[in-house]
Amino acid sequence: MLITAVFWIFATILVVSAALVVSARNPVHSVLFLILCFFNAAGLFLLAGAEFLALILVVVYVGAVAVLFLFVVMMLDVNFTQLREGVQRYAPVGATIGVVLLAELLMTFGGVRVAPSLATLHVAPIAAQTSNTEALGLVLYTHYVLAFQLSGLVLLVAMIGAIVLTLRDKPRARRQSIARQTTREVGDTLLMVDVRPGQTMAELGIFRPLTTLPQAPALDLIGPTPPVSADDATGRGDAA
Amino acid sequence: MTWQIALPEICLGGAGLIILMVGVLSRRNAFTTATLLAIAAFIATGYLILAEAPGVGYAGLFVADAFARFMQLLVLAGAILALLLSLDYNKAAAIDRFEFPVLVLFSTLGMLVMISAGNMISLYLGLELQSLCIYVLAAFARDTRRSVEAGLKYFVLGALASGLLLYGISLVYGFSGGMDFAEIRAALTASPAPGLVIGIVFMVAGIAFKLSAAPFHMWTPDVYEGAPTSVTALLATAPKVAAIALLLRVLAEPFGHLLQSWQQLIILVSIVSMLWGAFAAIGQTNIKRLMAYSSIGHMGYALIGLATGTAAGIRGVMIYMVTYVFMSAGSFAIIIAMRRGRQPVERIADLTGLGRTDPALALALAVFMFSMAGIPPMAGFFGKLYVFLAAVQGGLWTLAVLGVLTSVVGAYYYLRVIKVMYFDAAGDALDKRSGVLSTVAFGAAAFTVFFAAFSQPIIGAAEAASRALLG
Amino acid sequence: MFWQDVTTLSLTVLEALAILVPVLLCVAYATYAERRVLAAMQSRKGPNVVGAFGLMQPFADAAKMLLKETIIPAGANRALFLAGPMLTFILAMVAWAVIPVNNHWAVADINVGILYLFAISSLGVYGIIIAGWASNSKYAFLGALRSAAQMVSYEVSMGFVIVCVLLCVGSLNLNDIVLAQKTIWFCVPLFPMFVIFFISTLAETGRAPFDLPEGESEIVAGFFVEYSSMSFGLFFLGEYANMFLMSSLTTILFLGGWLSPLPFAPFTWVPGPIWFLLKVFLCIFMFFWVRATFPRYRYDQLMRLGWKVFLPISLFWLVLTASFLFAFHLLPHKLA
Repeated sequence: MLITAVFWIFATILVVSAALVVSARNPVHSVLFLILCFFNAAGLFLLAGAEFLALILVVVYVGAVAVLFLFVVMMLDVNFTQLREGVQRYAPVGATIGVVLLAELLMTFGGVRVAPSLATLHVAPIAAQTSNTEALGLVLYTHYVLAFQLSGLVLLVAMIGAIVLTLRDKPRARRQSIARQTTREVGDTLLMVDVRPGQTMAELGIFRPLTTLPQAPALDLIGPTPPVSADDATGRGDAA
Repeated sequence: MTWQIALPEICLGGAGLIILMVGVLSRRNAFTTATLLAIAAFIATGYLILAEAPGVGYAGLFVADAFARFMQLLVLAGAILALLLSLDYNKAAAIDRFEFPVLVLFSTLGMLVMISAGNMISLYLGLELQSLCIYVLAAFARDTRRSVEAGLKYFVLGALASGLLLYGISLVYGFSGGMDFAEIRAALTASPAPGLVIGIVFMVAGIAFKLSAAPFHMWTPDVYEGAPTSVTALLATAPKVAAIALLLRVLAEPFGHLLQSWQQLIILVSIVSMLWGAFAAIGQTNIKRLMAYSSIGHMGYALIGLATGTAAGIRGVMIYMVTYVFMSAGSFAIIIAMRRGRQPVERIADLTGLGRTDPALALALAVFMFSMAGIPPMAGFFGKLYVFLAAVQGGLWTLAVLGVLTSVVGAYYYLRVIKVMYFDAAGDALDKRSGVLSTVAFGAAAFTVFFAAFSQPIIGAAEAASRALLG
Repeated sequence: MFWQDVTTLSLTVLEALAILVPVLLCVAYATYAERRVLAAMQSRKGPNVVGAFGLMQPFADAAKMLLKETIIPAGANRALFLAGPMLTFILAMVAWAVIPVNNHWAVADINVGILYLFAISSLGVYGIIIAGWASNSKYAFLGALRSAAQMVSYEVSMGFVIVCVLLCVGSLNLNDIVLAQKTIWFCVPLFPMFVIFFISTLAETGRAPFDLPEGESEIVAGFFVEYSSMSFGLFFLGEYANMFLMSSLTTILFLGGWLSPLPFAPFTWVPGPIWFLLKVFLCIFMFFWVRATFPRYRYDQLMRLGWKVFLPISLFWLVLTASFLFAFHLLPHKLA
């Protein structure tokens, strides 16, 4: 009884939030209702005993995919009223298609015949005492390894595509090289200068812009090289 | 475990990953290296396909038979030709990035899987792998508005088509209780429920979209025109072969015994495609758009063979596709060679006087145009011949007659191109063409002209393949 | 039938209370402990006025938060603005359902426990995004974006670390994971993973040195700039409860849960929950210690660490672990 009650709660929220996804005025609310939808679908999976699918649905769709959706929708500057202008005009078409698809679905359910050899059709029947996670793992990497690897390739292609279409390499960008920063030694950038009393900047040659830079390499993001000419460097090395 | 059955595909995938790493890790522009490596990988895959023994593997997900071998080799040929063309075009268009051959390679891998699919899951995954790469490739010239528009358009409509296909698959699954082609065939009786027929219709619509057969062709002209020409060359050859192979396999294997429930549909698609391809092309001034409408028409002719549902018809489709791939690749080589002052030109009017300024190129284009129009003794004639023959044998007189009539209409615009080249006042000469383009153009032209001379083994292989498919 | 359901329900509620009340107490005193520890490390005194040694400080803070006014900024999305902190707090609480503090002492001893925890922790980002967006403030939104990107990034390598542990266990049940460490705690053979996991938990909970989402010097306080009184308090409680949750997870995955450090007499006399608590406190202390010691990361450094350092290392170690277990036939086969 408890299970039935929970089922109806999940199912009702699922259907209501699905309706709200398409009817909410604010797209952010739509996405949030979509997330609620996923969540309740996961609950239904859980009731059906497919706990692995349920949690993967939450991890993948709610935890990753919908976050990106939400990001994009939140950052969009959409004119909601303009977006909804066509609704009245296109509603009949959409409704017709919806009715047709619904009729087809009903017809399918009406005409479903269980295949005579259904019992033997299972590629990998779930053994007793096996949790559905294990059962899934057992066929995913054996019977369906081809499909699994192909899905991996599809995702790889999606990644390559995203990089190809959006990444603009800036060859002149200043980047931090941590290896270079940490291997740098004091002597590379710092020179100790013995300044005699009364000696002026002009005599030392400490001027900006420097005309004679020391041969220290130009290091990005480390700061400007100290403006000291090599000739006057006397304290090099003991600047620990 | 019979994993070796997919050895060519596994090797191709591995090669793709290696080429990707080579491209990422090399300091200089690796486009040429990567392209040559990809071509080498295609050739090696072709060799492995020839060497592999037929069989079924991966719990029915993957099928290797004579049909798959024939179509896979054809796909590889198309992909190699497209990559050769890209060597020249991509450099000129400043899109010579190493991801291009990698995406072409993965797309080809998707096509190979599509052709070898023995299960709805592998069918769908192969199709998605193939299309996803091509969506990206169509938008590859990302700083050109038309290219991005083409990519986006193709992506949105392609996603819709995938949705239709998936909906169809789910209906079929609902009625048969299986995803495996053999299971589906076993579970379906000869008098199918209406819902199942709807499922088949949705699946055919989804695949016909990839095939650019009317009435699912609306993306074709825009994408052909907007995408970089090297991508268009690919789009016009290999994916068409893969999609038609998929259609043949899906209709012949799981639904082979339900001929009467899908025959009308294929006949309809075929007629609409032929008519649309013939009449809409008349007003075109852009040669890439012309090729788009031409490909719609060609798909219509090819589908005639499928509509018969006989081995002879399927053999006709396969021969048609062979001739089509080489004609198209050759034509696109010439379209890529159309450059004036380093800028690509793509109007038909830009060809004026080519007969005098570059007689060899004009002759090659004339050969392709004659072939596409179906004038003997070019290859295109034999393609049409076998298809019409099967239609007449199968009693589909209407289709055969309509096919001949639309060919006559189609001949008008193919011959117009020849008229522009030879009989209009001479324009400025085109830029000097590169060696690769000449090789592809003249090689394909030679193939087209002398097809009759060496067609016997191809026809024999197609015959064996069609019998293997119908089992 | 009906009464059976009622008893099940009320028992579950009681069990939940039995774990949540101690958790909330720990959270309350963690705030106090943190201030004292930080003070000690920085040679200060810390809270020492309210009650003996300042022990009543958490209650004083709680009273203050409850009594202040909740301000809702103009233009904020009222419902979502209030839902954000609640969501954060609720998620931090529901995760405790599967944590075993002793052998089979968990409210729900489900066989995909680790996945449940992972799912709940991946939801945590919603409270923050919703709060950031609903506040109608640029700072809050920037903070929310930073936080979401950070949490999603570090979840990836955390996932690999968890898979690595699961390979050695052969079960997704948290109880089994602890029992699999009877011979040796996983922090020894999987030491690099342990380090990565601990650092990732710092990032996942948004603690120093990864507290960029609330970087005061750049975006004032990030996603909760606009929050006041108890709505702020819920975020605060959620953050500390998450710290405890992540520490418990570390304890379960790497420090042998409730198992005693050495399997003989004087150690085994101490009951399991005490060991569990001690280990969790150790982890919490590490959180404080890190906060007192390290300066804040820059955002690009944070992303670099997550994607370019942790991800490759954890992936590599995963492959290594799998190969090792496979090569030496150590894979935990439960079936066939």
